[in-house]
Amino acid sequence: MSDAGATPLFVRRAALFLRSGPFLTVLVVAAVWIVAGLTMAGFGSYGHLRYMLELAAVIGLVAAGQTLVVIGGGIDLSVGAIVTVSAVGVPLLPWDADASGVAAVLAILAGATGIGLLNGLGVAFLRVHPMIMTLAMATFLQGVLIIVAGGSAVSMHNPLVAWLGEARPWGVPAGIVLWVVVSLLTLLILHATPFGARIFALGANPLATSLSGVDVRVTTMAIFAASGLTAGLAGVLMLGMNGQGYVGIGDPYVLASIAAVVLGGTSILGGSGTYAGSIPGSALLVTITALITVVNASPGWRSILFGSLILGLLLLSGRESRRR
Amino acid sequence: MSVPIIAARDVSKSFFGNRVLREVSIELRAGRIHALLGENGAGKSTLINLLSGALPPDEGSIEVDGAAVDHFTPSEARRAGVAVVQQELSLTSQLSIGENIGLGAYPIRFGLVDYKALARRTRAACAMVGLDEDLATSVGDLPLGRRQMVEIAKALYREPRALILDEPTSSLSAHETQTLTRLLERLRAQGVAILYISHRLNEVMALCDYVTILKDGAVTADRELAGVDADGLVRLMVGRDPGDLFPKWTPNVEGKTIISVRGFSCGMARDIDLDLRRGEVFGVGGLVGQGQEDLILGLYGARSASARVAEFNGDSGVPDSVLKANALGLAYVPADRKREGLHLIHTISFNMLLPGYGRARGLTFRDRTNERDLARSLAGALSIKGDLTRPVQALSGGNQQKVALAKWMPNKPAIWLLNDPTRGVDVETKREIYGLLRGFAAEGAAVLLSSSDTPELVHLCDRVAVMREGRIVARIEQAELSEEAIVAAAMGANLAERAA
Repeated sequence: MSDAGATPLFVRRAALFLRSGPFLTVLVVAAVWIVAGLTMAGFGSYGHLRYMLELAAVIGLVAAGQTLVVIGGGIDLSVGAIVTVSAVGVPLLPWDADASGVAAVLAILAGATGIGLLNGLGVAFLRVHPMIMTLAMATFLQGVLIIVAGGSAVSMHNPLVAWLGEARPWGVPAGIVLWVVVSLLTLLILHATPFGARIFALGANPLATSLSGVDVRVTTMAIFAASGLTAGLAGVLMLGMNGQGYVGIGDPYVLASIAAVVLGGTSILGGSGTYAGSIPGSALLVTITALITVVNASPGWRSILFGSLILGLLLLSGRESRRR
Repeated sequence: MSVPIIAARDVSKSFFGNRVLREVSIELRAGRIHALLGENGAGKSTLINLLSGALPPDEGSIEVDGAAVDHFTPSEARRAGVAVVQQELSLTSQLSIGENIGLGAYPIRFGLVDYKALARRTRAACAMVGLDEDLATSVGDLPLGRRQMVEIAKALYREPRALILDEPTSSLSAHETQTLTRLLERLRAQGVAILYISHRLNEVMALCDYVTILKDGAVTADRELAGVDADGLVRLMVGRDPGDLFPKWTPNVEGKTIISVRGFSCGMARDIDLDLRRGEVFGVGGLVGQGQEDLILGLYGARSASARVAEFNGDSGVPDSVLKANALGLAYVPADRKREGLHLIHTISFNMLLPGYGRARGLTFRDRTNERDLARSLAGALSIKGDLTRPVQALSGGNQQKVALAKWMPNKPAIWLLNDPTRGVDVETKREIYGLLRGFAAEGAAVLLSSSDTPELVHLCDRVAVMREGRIVARIEQAELSEEAIVAAAMGANLAERAA
């Protein structure tokens, strides 16, 4: 056949895989862990690595929804506020009658999904730009949180949430198990369903997508709702690991989730990418944070370092080939 | 005889191996209104771009005052006194009328903008075109016709020796057109060379002295206008040899009416009565941008439309969404396939399967084997060769268009709506597409084909409706179909009214 037939298919597949964003991100994470593990006492210990993965799980959960939104050509700046809503909301729900705590968690998750759905409604029907819509939503939620929760931290007494933060079935923290489950679901939805294909189409060319008979509005609402749901899950997990929630607890996750998505090779312009890249992307972000903490700088400098490092990494990995 | 102010000598120009101008010569002389005529795609715009320095010719030369200029750039053109009024308005809508007119040529005094001189000269230019709006009005607030006048004033502000106007009257009211006519006559008397491009033959006949006609990038006439009638002009613009580009087909006997609308309006398309039958290819002709796109997108449910009476495949009312239209058996192939038809970064097979993804309901799983087989069979049917996992942007224009068609075939559409499907497509692919369209019709589908390519309407369609300014101005049956009849109706020449 053509000259492409000269190289066996699996060789081309392998070459493609080795050059793919997700794989390169995994390599970077592994390299950093090995170097840091050899040079810094305690960094490479099992406990520390497990702890980093637990932290990565929170970012990874937020990034799951964010990945869907970004591939669909949008962006969700309200994820930080939704994490906070969920972390502060569970303890505030007066459901002492339910001993297991399941009802409160389900109610909060439904609420978080609803917030995402509202974002989607604004983007799909009112045609508000996703950046404006979700930023406005974040600001609105912050206002509500300040009124409801005030400035003080709220402690929780929810058995389910506590279990999620502390339990270690088969020695693996429950948070990581949750992350694995959500990861598998996200990957399946994205790459194995017609709905996933619709997301890729929407992000690449919304006009052609709608003219091809895809319900663009429903797809848009669904991805924002999914982003609300995963941010809500992350909030519950945070609460479990922290023991208490406070206003602003979710703030770092806006930049972190977007950075994880882009570091993983997903195009910020939409239309292409995979959650398989956001997973090592999340781990990479946590690793950077850990390294900065070790350096023992003041909080101001830590923030400056974190921001510069993310920017530098994005410049290295995210050299997006120009298109259109 | 005097030397021409600006002239092109035997210029040729190609884009991507496609010759759009071949050895064209044109002379713009002082005190003459020179008409440039030709069908869509005949090469008029390219010729203007050469004369204004926007593009360099591949071969041939541009002469200013009789002397050839080596690197004729836009700034060179400005120095030579060439000003162009573009068809697509080049104004900045946030700036005021005055700022737009003077843009890039503000008078400078002591290194600063001389606003007094600017105001004086701007006012003079505005007075010439009859613009009496406040100069501080921002251009974005003006209606289209007034904006066109600002554009003309902008050209006059530069006190041109040669003025090129690309379809200046297409957005003007009758009154504004009259003002422009008087202005051009005055400029002619002052010794300005004017190149006037218009699709309105009556205007050309009344105003111009000399005519150059382009057909497929070559000059077919270059002469005084006196003694030529509109009929003769039209003949010179069309009439190529269709060759064996078109499939043999037999007109289908009266099929069942599948779309019927009365008083249909959508955007620019107004008050349209249309009956589309199974088994026919129904052509929609006319100059570019006369509402054909609105008609098609309105029928497809992609733009809001209204109709007194409408029946679509047994369903009453115009579809209010693309999803509804698809459910009723409609498919749409756009003119601008890169923007409306394809996902360039995605693979060929993804593009072909997308309508199927759109139809799938709920959270089901994709069947990769099925998908591969379907994509392969579609590619086979349309002779799209090579690896289907390549991004569709790797394909040539013709093959991209085939993908844009192929993606609908699994739906087995009962009604195909096509907007200029052969634009920018090579001859071989054109032939294949023509064969496909007649094939769809032969299988009982109804095909609505809007085209700016007149031969394709004549040789492929059972009937043709010609649109002008949003309305159907002529309906031509197969027996009377000719390029002359379509072009004449499209341009509003009097000889066309025998149809309708």
